Amino acid sequence: MPEPMVVVDRLTKAYGRLTALAEVSLSIRAGEVLGLIGPNGAGKTTLFECLAGVLPYDAGEILLDGAPLTGEARTSRIFYMPDGIAPWPSQTLKWTLDYAAGFFGGSAAAIPGIVRRLDLGPLLGSRIGTLSKGQRKRALLAVGMLTPHPLLLCDEPFDGLDLRQTREVGAALREHAAAGRTLFLSIHQIPDAARVCDRFVLLSAGRVCAEGTLDELIHRARTLHPEHSAHPEHQLEDVFLALT
Amino acid sequence: MRSRKGPFLWLVEKEWRELLSSRAWWVLLAVSGPLVGVSFISAVRTYAELSGYGGGTEGVGEAFSPLVGVWAPTFSACELAAAFLLPFVAIRVVAGDRQSGAMKLELQQPLSVLWRIGAKALVLGAAWLVASAPAAIAILLWRSYGGAVYPPELGAVLLGHMLNAGLTIALASAAASVTDHPSTAAIVTLSVTVGTWIVNFIAAVQGGIWERAAGYTPTAIVAQFQHGLVRLDVVLISLALIALGLAIAAIGMHLGVPARTRAAESIVLGALTAAVVFACTFLTPSWDLSENRMNSFRRSDEAVLRQIRQPLRIVAHLAAEDPRRVDLEQKVFSKLRRVMPRVDVRYVAATSTGLFEQASAHYGEVWYRLGENGVPSMNRITTVESVLETIYGLAGVEPPVESGDIFRGHPLAVPPRRAAAVFYGIWPAVVVAGAVFIWRRQS
Repeated sequence: MPEPMVVVDRLTKAYGRLTALAEVSLSIRAGEVLGLIGPNGAGKTTLFECLAGVLPYDAGEILLDGAPLTGEARTSRIFYMPDGIAPWPSQTLKWTLDYAAGFFGGSAAAIPGIVRRLDLGPLLGSRIGTLSKGQRKRALLAVGMLTPHPLLLCDEPFDGLDLRQTREVGAALREHAAAGRTLFLSIHQIPDAARVCDRFVLLSAGRVCAEGTLDELIHRARTLHPEHSAHPEHQLEDVFLALT
Repeated sequence: MRSRKGPFLWLVEKEWRELLSSRAWWVLLAVSGPLVGVSFISAVRTYAELSGYGGGTEGVGEAFSPLVGVWAPTFSACELAAAFLLPFVAIRVVAGDRQSGAMKLELQQPLSVLWRIGAKALVLGAAWLVASAPAAIAILLWRSYGGAVYPPELGAVLLGHMLNAGLTIALASAAASVTDHPSTAAIVTLSVTVGTWIVNFIAAVQGGIWERAAGYTPTAIVAQFQHGLVRLDVVLISLALIALGLAIAAIGMHLGVPARTRAAESIVLGALTAAVVFACTFLTPSWDLSENRMNSFRRSDEAVLRQIRQPLRIVAHLAAEDPRRVDLEQKVFSKLRRVMPRVDVRYVAATSTGLFEQASAHYGEVWYRLGENGVPSMNRITTVESVLETIYGLAGVEPPVESGDIFRGHPLAVPPRRAAAVFYGIWPAVVVAGAVFIWRRQS
């Protein structure tokens, strides 16, 4: 088992009286596709924003390659693609991709391949602000894939995509990870997560309920709930319900 | 293959493209032409009429300074644009990234927030220069009429307006960065602008510390530069306030830092700037760049006054709103401070208007004393000649012989030809065509 690239240790974040994250601990291994699964309001986005340095956290520690995560290490190793944003709305997709590669230090040579893989060719001349939700999601995924940071955090990468697009984007993300990138994806549609991720972190009400591969989670669910017998097609959903 | 262009240049390009796609900027551009035009046309017409155009009698002297007659009114349109239009452009550029979510992405580039706000300030400065093009056209038109241009005084006016624009950009950037919504930022920015007007108003009524503070409001700063006066303290204080605004904007961009920490950093920075501003108020160097030396005594008088080394104490029994006090302050004391190393002026008044103090025997008296133990001398007359005579008498020096360095003025009896077509027709058309061209080119 490879050494964890990132270790999150008892991370806590509160908004006033509301505790969004309560002593969250998890690890991210190099080269894996890790899925953060949880219902709306579970704290997925808060966890990502704390990891990315967009939000300050109240307590806990984040280790990167065994050392406490500094601002410099964060900006050079971790890239976070938030959900629900529409950056540079008046710029064309083509320019946006050039900008993403240039500004973040990525490779401009990778642009054609990513555009082809995410089927963005017909949209290159369109302004970001005019794209539909699904088109924008794919455009932002392309931006994330162009960045050179070893770890990519992606909040709801399948939100707004139809079934076919979800499968295509899932396959593109798997290929991207196979090329050496570590992905941490926040997903609330459990079947999507089951298709793409190697391991899972189950988050509910700001707490990590379980972490592991699907087999490990099923085993744990059966240990805790002997009556549990997941249907093969809904294994992860049943496990999630059993463990949260 | 990595880009040869560094992240800062990418950021500048992005900011520039965002500016070009901002409707607020195109509105600023479209409006600035007619705004400058109406001021310029009115000023040139008045100047021409005073010069004898239309059969009137030709005036003389100071009225024929283009600085006072043309540039001050023309550039006052820029002041209006800076106060009411430029903030919206700055807020759009700074708050747009937060609104769209671009800031969350861009902050993940290991570029200092100072560089980030620097890129925005650079682009906004360039935007202001482009928006000032109508003023440059006004200068060209004036030259085409045969009007005189004295570059130093024009440079002073331009410097004043750039500093004023810088203050507006810094204020709007700070407001946009620390507030959640652009509309809140706009309200904050305009409130501060109105607040400075209130300070000016209180200063006119109360005098004292308010009067001193009012000397550094944007309106007062612009007024000084429009008179061709460049004061080191005003320039440094403006730069310090611009730096403070931009620094607060940069602190506000630090998303991952707790709000309390950001507030504390801003407060510390504000306190440090206040100390710098306070220290700057003691700086006295200044330069009168006006061709007619409207901020200075005659050179011969200045030569004599500079030789007087003893401190001059003046006690004026005049209320803040008394026009005699305004005359004394603007036409005599401000000039005295520029040439004499130690001038201490104190105003004594029980009320702000002085209306009910007229019955007092001492009201209206102005007492002058040279040196710590000098004999005081009282003079109620507020003209330059009379005040200087009193000071020369106290110092025991001979008044200088009148020299011939009198400003004769540059009369020009030419109406503002072609100006209406340029500012009301060609300029807006060019702006609209430019907006369409840029919009299509960026697609």
